[in-house]
Amino acid sequence: MGAIEGILTGFEVALSLEGILFVLLGVFVGTFIGMLPGLGPISAIAIMIPITYGMNPTLALVMMAGVYYGAVFGGSTSSILLNAPGISGTVASSFDGYPMAQNGQAGKALAIAAIASFIGGTISVILLMAFAPMLSSVAISFGPPAYFALMLLGLTAIASLSEGSTIKALISAVIGFIVATIGIDPQTGTARYTFGSTNLLDGIDFLIIALGLFAIAEVGYLIINRFKKSATDGKQLGSLKLSKQDMKEIAGPSGRQSILGFVLGILPGAGATIASFISYISEKRIAKKPEQFGKGAVKGLAAPEASNNAATSGSFVPLLSLGIPGSGTTAVMLGAFLVLGVQPGPMLMGDNPEIFWGIIASMYIGNIFLLILNLPLIPYIARVLTVPRPLLISLVIVFSLIGVYAISFSTFDLYLLLAFGVIGFLMRMFAFPAPPFILAFILGGMMEQSFRQAMTSSNGDISIFFTNNISLVLIILSVLSFAFPIIKSVREKKKTA
Amino acid sequence: MLQGVNRKIGLILFLLSAGYLFMSYQLPTYPYIPVDADAIPKTLGWILVVLSIALFFTKDSDTEEQKAKRHIPKKDVKAIVGVFVLALIFISLLEIVGFVIMTALFIFTCSKFLGYKSNLVNAIVSICFPLFLYSIFVFLLNINLPQGVLPL
Repeated sequence: MGAIEGILTGFEVALSLEGILFVLLGVFVGTFIGMLPGLGPISAIAIMIPITYGMNPTLALVMMAGVYYGAVFGGSTSSILLNAPGISGTVASSFDGYPMAQNGQAGKALAIAAIASFIGGTISVILLMAFAPMLSSVAISFGPPAYFALMLLGLTAIASLSEGSTIKALISAVIGFIVATIGIDPQTGTARYTFGSTNLLDGIDFLIIALGLFAIAEVGYLIINRFKKSATDGKQLGSLKLSKQDMKEIAGPSGRQSILGFVLGILPGAGATIASFISYISEKRIAKKPEQFGKGAVKGLAAPEASNNAATSGSFVPLLSLGIPGSGTTAVMLGAFLVLGVQPGPMLMGDNPEIFWGIIASMYIGNIFLLILNLPLIPYIARVLTVPRPLLISLVIVFSLIGVYAISFSTFDLYLLLAFGVIGFLMRMFAFPAPPFILAFILGGMMEQSFRQAMTSSNGDISIFFTNNISLVLIILSVLSFAFPIIKSVREKKKTA
Repeated sequence: MLQGVNRKIGLILFLLSAGYLFMSYQLPTYPYIPVDADAIPKTLGWILVVLSIALFFTKDSDTEEQKAKRHIPKKDVKAIVGVFVLALIFISLLEIVGFVIMTALFIFTCSKFLGYKSNLVNAIVSICFPLFLYSIFVFLLNINLPQGVLPL
C-alpha cells in the first residue's frame, strides 16, 4: 500500500462515526486525567488499558493516542495556573505561563498553550506521516556518546536560564545533579547517599522535586501575600482575547519549535522534556527582547508548548516503525498494543495499514478536537485563580501532596516534598534560580549513564566522544551554547561600565 | 569575615560540598570499570567546592526587589511555620485517619488559620473537594487512597 492510499485508509478509519467518537473520548479523558495531580500520560494510558479489552484494536489504539496527547495538554494547565508541573515536559511552560497567569492573563496563557499545542501537534503529524520510516533509522544511530552530547547540549541551557548571577545558576544546577545521584547506581548496583533508607534506593521522583521547588515554594510567597487582592476580576482573567501581535508571536516560535520538538521526540529517552527546554532556550536566544522571558512572554510559553506536543507525535516514530518505545509513556503504549494483539514494528505498515495510518490520521482530528474542547472551557478553568488566597493555598498543598502520594503511596515521599518545598523557598529568597536545578536533575541521571556506557564501550577511551560525528557536532554546539550568553553578558556589563 | 549574604551561603555550601565529597570517597569501587559509581559524584563535589568559594568572594549584587523578598514580617513567618506544621500533621495522620477526613480537616483548618472568614464556604469546599478527589481516584481510576477509619 502506498503512502497516499495509506493516508486515505487512515482517514477512512478516523473519520468514521466510531473513529470520531473514540478520538473525542480519548482526548477528553486524557485532558481530564492530565489535569489531576500527579497523573500524566503514563498513568492516563495505563488506566485506560483495561477499558480497551475486547475493543476493536484500531479504534482502541486511536483512542489511546488521543489519551496520550490529551494528557500532555492537560498537564500544562496546572503548570500555568498553579506553578505545579505534573510532568517534566510541562516544567518549561510554567516559566512564562505562570507569570502571565499572575498578571491577570490566565485565560490568554491557556489559550496560547492550546493554540501552540495545536500547531505543534498538527505540524508534527505531517512530519510523522512524511518521514516516519526514514527517521526511525536516524534514531537508532544515536549511541551513548551522542546521547551524552545531547544531554550536555540540554544542560548548557543553564547559562540562559539564569536571570541574575551565573554562579548561583551553576550552583543550583550542580545541586540538582547531586540530587540525581541519590539511589542505586544502575551499572554497579552501588547504593549512593541512601543513608540506609530503602525509600531512597530508587532515587527521588521527578514529581517530588518539581512540585516541591515550584508549587510548595510558591505557597510560601502566597502565604505572605495572602491578603493582597487579585488585580483583575474573574471575567478579565478568563479572557481569551489575543491581539494580532500575540498571534504573530505565537506563529513563529510554534512553527520553528514544532519541527525541533518533533525531531527531539524521535530520539529514545530524550522526548518532550529536553525538547521543551531546548525550544525555550533557543527561542530566548533569538528573541529581540530576551529580557521579557520569565516574566510572561508569549513566545516563552508558545515555544515549549508547541515543542512538547510535537515531541509526543515524534515519540510515535520509533514505536510505530521499529516497535521500540523511546520513553516511559510509549513503553506503556507498547503494552497497550500488545494487549490488543498488535505488534508494532516494521511489519505494522504492511500487515495492519489501517492501524498504522488510522493512528496518524486520528492525530489530525484529535488535535482539532483538543482545541475545540479546550478553548470554551478555558474561561472556567482560569477562574481557579479567583478562589480566595487562603483557600487556594490549602487546595494547592493538598493537590501537591496527593499528586505525590498517588504515584508512590509512601508518606516518606510527602516529607521529602515538604523538604524540597523549603529548599525551593530558600532558593527564591536568596535568588538561586530553580529551573537550572530541575533541568540538571532531569538530565543529570541520563547524562551520567550515557557517559559511563560510552566509556565502557570504548574501554575508558574518552576520544569516543570526538570520533563519533553526531556527538562531536553536539559537543561543539554545547560549547558554543554555553559560552555565548556568558560572553554576551560580560560584553554588555563592560559596555554599561 | 561573614558579612554579606553571599559569604554566609558560600560557607554553608562549602561545608555541604565537603560532606558530600567525604561520602563520595566512601563509595565502593570495582576493578575493570572505566567510570565507577563514584566518579561523577566526586566531580560534582569538587565543582561545588569551587563554586562555593567563588560565591564566597563574589560581591552581593542583589536588586532591591530581591532584598525585599528576604524581609518577611514576623506574623508571616508564623503563618508559614503554622501551615508547615499543619502539613506535617496531615502527612503523619494520613494513613491512619484516612484521606477524606484528613483532607477535609486540613483544608478547613489551614484556610481558617490563614484568615479565610466564610465558615460555610470553607466547610462546603473542605467536604466536597476530598470526596470528589477520592471518588475519582478510587472508584473511577482504581488508584487507592488511604481509607482510614471511614468505611468507604
